[in-house]
Amino acid sequence: MIRLLSLMLLLALWQGAAVFADPRRLPGPVPVFEAIAHEAETGALFANLAATLARVAASFLLAMSLGAALGYAMGRRPALDRLFDPWLVILLNLPALVVIVLAYLWAGLTEAAAIGAVALNKLPNAIVVMREGARALDPELDEMAEVFRLRPAARLRHIVAPQLSPYLAAATRSGLSLVWKIVLVVELIGRSNGVGFEINMAFQLFDVRLLLAYAIPFVLLMLGVETFLVQPFERHVSRWRRRPARGQGRA
Amino acid sequence: MSRDGAAALLEVRVAHKDHASAGGRPQRVLENLCFSLPAGRAGALVGPSGCGKTTLLRIIAGLDAAFSGEVTLPAGGRLGMVFQEPRLLPWRSVIDNLRIAAPRASEAALSALLAAFELSEHALHFPGELSLGLARRVAIARALAIEPDLLLLDEPFVSLDDALARDLRARIAALIDESHVTTLIVTHDLREAIELADVVFLLSPRPARVGATLTIETPRRSMTKEAADALETRARKEIEAMRGR
Repeated sequence: MIRLLSLMLLLALWQGAAVFADPRRLPGPVPVFEAIAHEAETGALFANLAATLARVAASFLLAMSLGAALGYAMGRRPALDRLFDPWLVILLNLPALVVIVLAYLWAGLTEAAAIGAVALNKLPNAIVVMREGARALDPELDEMAEVFRLRPAARLRHIVAPQLSPYLAAATRSGLSLVWKIVLVVELIGRSNGVGFEINMAFQLFDVRLLLAYAIPFVLLMLGVETFLVQPFERHVSRWRRRPARGQGRA
Repeated sequence: MSRDGAAALLEVRVAHKDHASAGGRPQRVLENLCFSLPAGRAGALVGPSGCGKTTLLRIIAGLDAAFSGEVTLPAGGRLGMVFQEPRLLPWRSVIDNLRIAAPRASEAALSALLAAFELSEHALHFPGELSLGLARRVAIARALAIEPDLLLLDEPFVSLDDALARDLRARIAALIDESHVTTLIVTHDLREAIELADVVFLLSPRPARVGATLTIETPRRSMTKEAADALETRARKEIEAMRGR
């Protein structure tokens, strides 16, 4: 309820500011929503949203699955961690733009280059979070699994995954927002559709209305993903805790 | 760890086992520790706190391979272990904890097991919702669910109040008599060992070895206070002798 009120307040502030501003620099909510409706009618809105969403999904899944596997391996094996930690630090500090431009230069202005570049930007982040999770795995439960000779699949599903799921949720939450921001940049530089491409068009035409007409629906879409996918997942995996954020691992 | 299919007994021969101490100098925990336990019998390892009982149990369970010696598990070699802390999976319900440990056990067998430990009403609870006494019972039920060839219990009554400990002791005694599972209990409590086991192995202070073996002729069910007292006195003498040596 408070959330809704907070959003309404933001909308009112926007409307208030728009009254005093040059409508070319800051159009009010009404003309922006009209622009959204217009773009939706022509179908361009959905085509571009879908293109961007597909890129977000592809690069996010790529980064998360690779990041989870590498982070887990590095968290479990100190030798591997020492070997690859410097790479991780380099990757963490490599500016997103450098990765994107290099990817386009080396692989051409292709879809694979775009998705790969975004995934590579998210990857070190996912590795760091999942490595933390793997380091925090309870050795006592590992011993239990050892004595009871649980199969590898059962260990993964019942022992490792539940302990890693809070880390997975944290990486997902920070990852989704990071990924979609970078996706817009790759689209702006080297793609001919998607929200980033449309924003580039709006920039060229100095059309703030069009810019907001694409930005707002996508923000809402990601808000929906967070509310209807990430949060329910978190609630589901932490239902065994009587209170959230309590020390884990011990009964 | 070698497994001799023919010999249906637990045989432990540890020549020595060292711990690396904080200063880097190895400390001898176990030395020339040998004992064997016939199939279907219950043995108890009794020793003062810190004498290396848990270390020994971890060696037998195969969790610690850094020792010189040999452990032969009973034929089949399936281990059911009850750790000092219950070590249940907090994110799985009680019944799921049993299912995961014993994927081949039938639902009927698991329900019967829960019923035997009066845990039926807690089947769908998460371990975090249980008291320590209940969680221990679940841990024991889990160890039994895999139909072990050897049941290992590490201080199963520690941090339970007297009434709960007595109740659990009676359950375990009944269980050993009914299922004839080869059982090894580690405890610091001599009386507890006498009341539960067929054979009591008294461990010496560090480096631990089996200083004396006490065979208990009286069956668990007909153990009287007097008989237990007599055995305890005998055992205390042995322990004194060990210290004097």
